[in-house]
Amino acid sequence: MSRGKSTPLYLIAFLLFLGGTGYLCYSGFSENSIYFLNVSEARAASPDKLANVRLFGTVAADGVEKHASGPGIVFRLEDKDNAAQAILVRYTGAVPDTFRPGAEVIVEGGIGPDGQFAAKILMTKCPSKYQKENRKS
Amino acid sequence: MYVFASTIQLLTLLCALSGGGLALYDIWRGRGDMLPLVEKLHWFIAAALLLASAILLHALYRHDFELKYVASYTDLILPVFYRLTAFWAGQEGSMLFWALSVALGGTIFAVTGACKALTPATRLWYWVFFYAIVAFFTLILTTWSNPFTMLTPPPKDGNGLNPLLQNPGMIFHPPLLFLGYGGFVVPSCLALAQTLSGKRNEETAWFRLTRPFLILAWLALTAGIVLGAWWAYMELGWGGYWAWDPVENASLLPWLISTAALHTLIIEERCRKLGRVNVVMIALTTVSAFFATYLVRSGVVESVHAFGDGSVGTPLTIFVLAGLFVAFWTVFWSKAEGRFLAGPGSREGLLTLLAWVLLALAVIILAATLWPQISKFWTSVPKGMDAAFYNRICLPLGAIVVVMMAFCPWLRMAGGLNRKNAFMGLIACMLISAAALWMAGYRQSTALVAAAAAFGLVYDAVLMLKNTAVFRSPSTLGALGAHLGMALVTVGIAFSGPYAEDKDMTLAQGQSGQIQDYSATLLDIRSGRRPGYEYVGARIEVRKGDKRLGIIEPERRVYDKFGTMQFSEVDTIPRPGDEIYASLLRFDGEKRVLVKISVKPFVNWLWIGGAMLCILPLLCLRRRKSGSPASGAAGTKSARLR
Repeated sequence: MSRGKSTPLYLIAFLLFLGGTGYLCYSGFSENSIYFLNVSEARAASPDKLANVRLFGTVAADGVEKHASGPGIVFRLEDKDNAAQAILVRYTGAVPDTFRPGAEVIVEGGIGPDGQFAAKILMTKCPSKYQKENRKS
Repeated sequence: MYVFASTIQLLTLLCALSGGGLALYDIWRGRGDMLPLVEKLHWFIAAALLLASAILLHALYRHDFELKYVASYTDLILPVFYRLTAFWAGQEGSMLFWALSVALGGTIFAVTGACKALTPATRLWYWVFFYAIVAFFTLILTTWSNPFTMLTPPPKDGNGLNPLLQNPGMIFHPPLLFLGYGGFVVPSCLALAQTLSGKRNEETAWFRLTRPFLILAWLALTAGIVLGAWWAYMELGWGGYWAWDPVENASLLPWLISTAALHTLIIEERCRKLGRVNVVMIALTTVSAFFATYLVRSGVVESVHAFGDGSVGTPLTIFVLAGLFVAFWTVFWSKAEGRFLAGPGSREGLLTLLAWVLLALAVIILAATLWPQISKFWTSVPKGMDAAFYNRICLPLGAIVVVMMAFCPWLRMAGGLNRKNAFMGLIACMLISAAALWMAGYRQSTALVAAAAAFGLVYDAVLMLKNTAVFRSPSTLGALGAHLGMALVTVGIAFSGPYAEDKDMTLAQGQSGQIQDYSATLLDIRSGRRPGYEYVGARIEVRKGDKRLGIIEPERRVYDKFGTMQFSEVDTIPRPGDEIYASLLRFDGEKRVLVKISVKPFVNWLWIGGAMLCILPLLCLRRRKSGSPASGAAGTKSARLR
């Protein structure tokens, strides 16, 4: 079978495309990738890894404080499996409706010098009917 | 009765297994005498799954909390509409719904003349694949995820449905996705069957026979995604519509692959090229639909959506891998037709490049979504991608797609321009709109390129509609409408993404806050009771300069069924330009409210375009009368978009 006459053109286009996308991915990967950790993993990790990180955990039953003025909240984030492992989280944005003690949440941010986790993003897991979460015991 | 329902699910499994087995046996013997029997089984399967669904719906209607599924997702005060739609609210029910839609799709295809016209060999292979998929579903339904599990003793009341989900947008989002996923099953099975039977040249091609399935499945998938985004925007109150969450990404994978497939199919339809590529593409679409379900249900990646308990994760993984293997193996062993594409400067070439970009998007999104799992192979501190990663890569690629869409209609299939002046006009239109946007202060480069290309698409559409021949070809009009819809979606995203602004304001009665040129004044705070919930609402007057735009009334609600949890109800002043969006964040005892007021430029074009994208392609269902691949209504050739 003979080669199509436009095969080299496609090859060049493909290489260009691969190069461009590859570069985008590489730069994106080096600047926009963050650690995805559970609370217990974060407690075990070295501090330099915690400057920009996404944490998964459960809001502790006690110690949820609203800011006196403005939106925001301070709470303890516990590990899902080991409640003894916890990190204090400070968040200054609008708190989602479904945020409450016991809710599974995702926070993104970093640990400051005071040992508190300053969250830029706070998401609660979808209040799903698909999950046991909204079942009252 | 529920034991009976479980039993019919089991019988369906046995039926599907024996149907597939018999078909394979016939193929192995090189005969076709079992075919009539094999072809009758789908009736039983469809009827049995319909019956099982009816039993579940009846239980939901009757508040039969004996059934675990009913107790988990409904309660006594839930209106009947939401009770019935709880059919697809949970994992078990949605699996049943998906299986039902696949079975009904199979039956519809089987009764059409299209199926009868196929050779017995193709039909046997088709049923092998189809029954394999049905068997997989019914296996899941009878084992890991049975909707007819009972509770003893039955509880007095159920758990109820979360108020956030009691919204029409959310009710139709999941079933549309499932219909989309399920709709690709028939075309993929037939594509593989035709390839394996080797009778392609003796019968009508699979993509012509299953054209309605392809179009409707794509539409349902698109509608499901758009509705989900709209629901997130209107109901969740965070002001966005897409967060690049793993579950959102999951639904995007089949959409990207199917969109690529629909476009490479045009090349095959017109020029009889890329036959094997298209079989892989359509099979990948279905496999990616299963993979999407796997991502959603298995809990493999942490997501804000918490759906599955992971019980169906392993079987889905195995099925996805098997599907991939079968697809590639089938195509690898089939005969190549050996016709080459015209160069990259032709319409064929551009459509191929478009498919590359769409597939690259799918691969990147897939890898990025799974990265927290992948990186676990070599590190104990897994890494993942934040939303900025996706925006950084997917938005430029998306802009390239829109530019290609604008150029494509002016290229000839085999290469060269078909209307040079129109093409030059397009370039001028894009350059002028880019310059105008730059002057107007919209200078974010990706958004600028995408918006300019979107205006180019509108220009294309206007020029084509001037050619009245277009109106005689509904399928051309449908494609044109879809592309126009995509142009509006692009405008919506390009502006509401980078140029949205929001501000948190603490307001007492009579106080005002300022955002951009708009002022928001708190008129009063109202509270009261409506059926099922108590509410506090802030009435806020929005003005632009001296002009009064209207009153916006975001609320917070406490539902009787959901304890002290508060739910925010956003309100908007919809406008063609800036939409004003408000959500009430907090109300304190001192008669002050904390509200988030956002200005969302052009966001409504996203919903208008989205609606066009899911409605207008219905026109494509009208088949063109001529059968030969390269012909069509004469004179519309240059006008045809796809």
